[in-house]
Amino acid sequence: MASASGRQLRAMLRKDIVMELRTKEMIMSMGLYSLLTMVVYFVALSQAGSNFDPRDIAAGLLWLAFIFTSMLGLNRSLVHEKDQGCLEALLLSPVDRPVIFFAKAGGNLIFLLAVEALTLPVFGFLFLQGTHLDWGSIALLPLILIVGSIGMAGVGTLLATMSVNTSGKDFVLAMLFIPLMYPLLLGAVTATGGAIVGGAQGVSVFWTGMGWVVGYDVIMLLASYGLYEFIVGA
Amino acid sequence: MTEEHQHTLALEVRDLTRAFGVRKALDGVSLELPVGAFLSIFGPNGAGKTTLVKVLTTLLNPSSGSARVLGRDVVSDAVDLRTHIGLISHNPLLYPDLTAEENLLFFAEMYGVEQPHVRVSELLEAVELDHRKLDLTRTFSRGMLQRLSIARALLHRPEVIFLDEPYSGLDPHAMDILDGLIAQIRDSHTFVMISHDLDKGLELCSHALILAKGRVVLYEPREAIDDAAFRQTYRSTVGMGVS
Amino acid sequence: MIALVLGGVLTLGAFIGAFFWAGVPDFGFVRTAGQVDSVRYKGPFEQAIDEARYLANYAGYTVEVEADGESVRGELVSADAESVEIATGSGNVTIDAADFEAATVFGSEYGRPDWGQKIFYFHVPVAEISFVVFAFAAFYAIRFLMTRNRDYDTKNRVSMEVTLVFVGLTMATGILWTKAAWGVWWDWEPRLTTYFILTLLVIAYFVLRNSVEDEERRAVYGAVFSILAFIDVPISFFITRLIPSNHPVIEGGGLEGPMLISFILGQIGMIALGYAIYQLRMGEVQLQERIEQAKTLLER
Repeated sequence: MASASGRQLRAMLRKDIVMELRTKEMIMSMGLYSLLTMVVYFVALSQAGSNFDPRDIAAGLLWLAFIFTSMLGLNRSLVHEKDQGCLEALLLSPVDRPVIFFAKAGGNLIFLLAVEALTLPVFGFLFLQGTHLDWGSIALLPLILIVGSIGMAGVGTLLATMSVNTSGKDFVLAMLFIPLMYPLLLGAVTATGGAIVGGAQGVSVFWTGMGWVVGYDVIMLLASYGLYEFIVGA
Repeated sequence: MTEEHQHTLALEVRDLTRAFGVRKALDGVSLELPVGAFLSIFGPNGAGKTTLVKVLTTLLNPSSGSARVLGRDVVSDAVDLRTHIGLISHNPLLYPDLTAEENLLFFAEMYGVEQPHVRVSELLEAVELDHRKLDLTRTFSRGMLQRLSIARALLHRPEVIFLDEPYSGLDPHAMDILDGLIAQIRDSHTFVMISHDLDKGLELCSHALILAKGRVVLYEPREAIDDAAFRQTYRSTVGMGVS
Repeated sequence: MIALVLGGVLTLGAFIGAFFWAGVPDFGFVRTAGQVDSVRYKGPFEQAIDEARYLANYAGYTVEVEADGESVRGELVSADAESVEIATGSGNVTIDAADFEAATVFGSEYGRPDWGQKIFYFHVPVAEISFVVFAFAAFYAIRFLMTRNRDYDTKNRVSMEVTLVFVGLTMATGILWTKAAWGVWWDWEPRLTTYFILTLLVIAYFVLRNSVEDEERRAVYGAVFSILAFIDVPISFFITRLIPSNHPVIEGGGLEGPMLISFILGQIGMIALGYAIYQLRMGEVQLQERIEQAKTLLER
C-alpha cells in the first residue's frame, strides 16, 4: 500500500516537472515577475536617499517578492489541473487524497525554490552592492528559504485548491493567503534579517526566527494535510 | 478486506440520497444492475444523472443510503473499487502539455497497470492514435481527445465503465471507433451510460433508467419496455420534443 | 428570545449607568512615589512635538525633561506643540518642543483624570467576546466537517457574522483607546497587530463564501477556512512578540469598588448581548432557510 502511494507520488511529481520543463511557463512567469518586483523596489526606494542601510530592509523586500511570486505560481499550477478536469481524473484513480496534496505541494515547492534561488543573488547584486556581508551567516539563508517555502507551498496549495473553484480566483487566494501567512512571514523576515545583518546577534536572531517558522510549518501543514480531503471531495 | 466478491450485481443501490439540507440531488434512488448489463440513464438537466454517476464512481459521497459497485461499497471500499471502474466523461481529462503516450503512461502508473508500455501501445492502436502518440494533446481535435480519453479509461481493464454523454461533440469517425470499442468489449463488461440521445441510448442498453428531480421515474429491463410508451414517458419527463 | 435581547440590553444599560457612576476621576495610572510615566521621543516615526503635547496631561506634576542633551527638573507649568515650560527652583524654563527628547513624570498626590480609560470598560468585554464567538465558529466548523449536517454550517456562518460585528467594535474602540492612552491612532504592537490579522481573516471568510456558487462546497470551504483561521490567530500572537517592541505599556493597577462592579457588569452585559445578537441573527437566518426549504419542496 505504501509503495503504491510512493509510486503515485513520484509519478505525479514527475508529470508536473516534465510539463513545466517543456513549457517553462511557470518558472518563466514567476522568474520574470520577481525581476519586475526588483524594478518596483528600485523606484520605491529612490526617494529614500542613501542614508539607510539596505541590509535592514533586504529581508522584508525579499520575502515580499517571494510571497507574491508564490501566489502567482500557486494559482497557475492549480488552474492547470482544473482546466481539463484533470483533478477529477486524479480523484478517479486509486490514490489517497493526501498523496495528491503532497504531490501538488511538492511540485509547487520545487518551483518556488527554483525561483527563490534565482532571485536571491539577483537581489543581492542589485541592492547590496558595497555593503559588508557576513558570509558565514549568509550561508544560513538557504535554510530559512527552504523552511519558509515549505510553509508557503503547503498552506498555499490547500488554499489555491479552494480558490481555483471560486469566481474571484487570484483575489480570493490573496485574501486567504496573506493573513494566514502572516506568522510565517514575520518569522522568516526576522530570520532572514538576522542572517543578512550577521554577527553573533544576527545569528541568534536567525535561529529564533527559524524556530518559529518551523513551529508554524509543523502546525499548519498538519492542519492542511488533514483538511485537504474535505476540499477535494466536495 | 474481502477478496471474494461473488457478485452477480454490478450495481446495488439502496435508497441513495445526496442532499444538502432540503435540496436533494438524489432522493432515495434504488436499483440493481446485473453484471454484463448496459444501463442507459435518461433524464432532464438537473435530474441527478451526473450526481448518481459521481457517487457510483466514488467522486462524491452519499448523504444517506448505500451503493455498492461490484460488491464494493462506494465509501468504505472506494480505493479498491477505483481500480475496477473507469469513467469516460465529456471532459477529456487529459493533460494538454503531455504527449498522448505520456498521458497514458502517467495514468497507467497511477493505476499500477502491469507492463504499462505494452498496454499503452495496445490501446493507442485500438483508438487509432498510434501515429500521434508523440504529439502533445493540446494539438488534438475534440474527436481525437475523446478517443484518447477512452484509451485512458480502459488502461486498467475496468469491469464497469461509466460514460457521461460520451458522444457529444464527436465526429462520425470517432463515434464509429467508440461504437466499435464498446461492441468489442460489450460481453465481458458492464456499462453505465448517461445520454441525451434517446435512440442511441435505447439501442445499446439492456436496462433503462429515467431520473427526474433526483428520483427514479422509470427503471426497466429493455425487453419489458414498450417503445412508444417509453418515449411518451421520456418526453413528458424531459419535456422536449424528441423523435 | 425576546427575554434574551431584553436581558442583554438591560444589562448593557445597567453597565452604562455604572460606567458613569464609576467614573471616578481618580483612576488612571499606577502611582508610585517614583516614576509615574515616561515619554520618549522615539525616532523617525514619532513626532517630538506630539510627545511634548502629551505632557500637557501632567501639568502640576514634577517632571524631569531632557532636551538638547540637557536635563531640566521641576514642576510642569504647561506643555503644548510649541514649547514646554517648567518651573524650577531658579525660575521658569521654556523648552522648545522641537528639542524635546524625553521626559519622566513623578508621583504626586492628586490623580490624573483619564477619560480615555472609560473605553476600556467597553473594549475589553467586546474583544473577549469576539474571541469566544470565533472559537464557537471553529467548533461548529469541525462538527460540520464531521457530520455534513447543514445546520452546523448555518451555526458556523452565523457565529462568524457575530464575530465580525464584535471584531468591528473591538477595532473601533481599540483605535480610540490607543489614541487616548498612547497618543497615536495605531501601533504595530502584538495585540493590535494580531487583532488586525484576525479582522482580515474574518473578512476573508466572507469573501471566500461569497465567491463560491455551490452551496455544499461553500459550506465545506467556509468550515475549512474557519479552522485554519482559528489555528492561525494564537500563532500570530506569539510570533508578533518576536519583534522587539519599544512601546511603553502603561497598565492600570487593580480595580476596586465601583469600577470593578462596572467592569463585571460590563462583562456579563456583553456576554448576554453577544448571545442575544447571535440568537437574533440565527432566528433571522432560520426563517430565511425555512422559506427556501418551502420553496424547494413546492417545486418538487
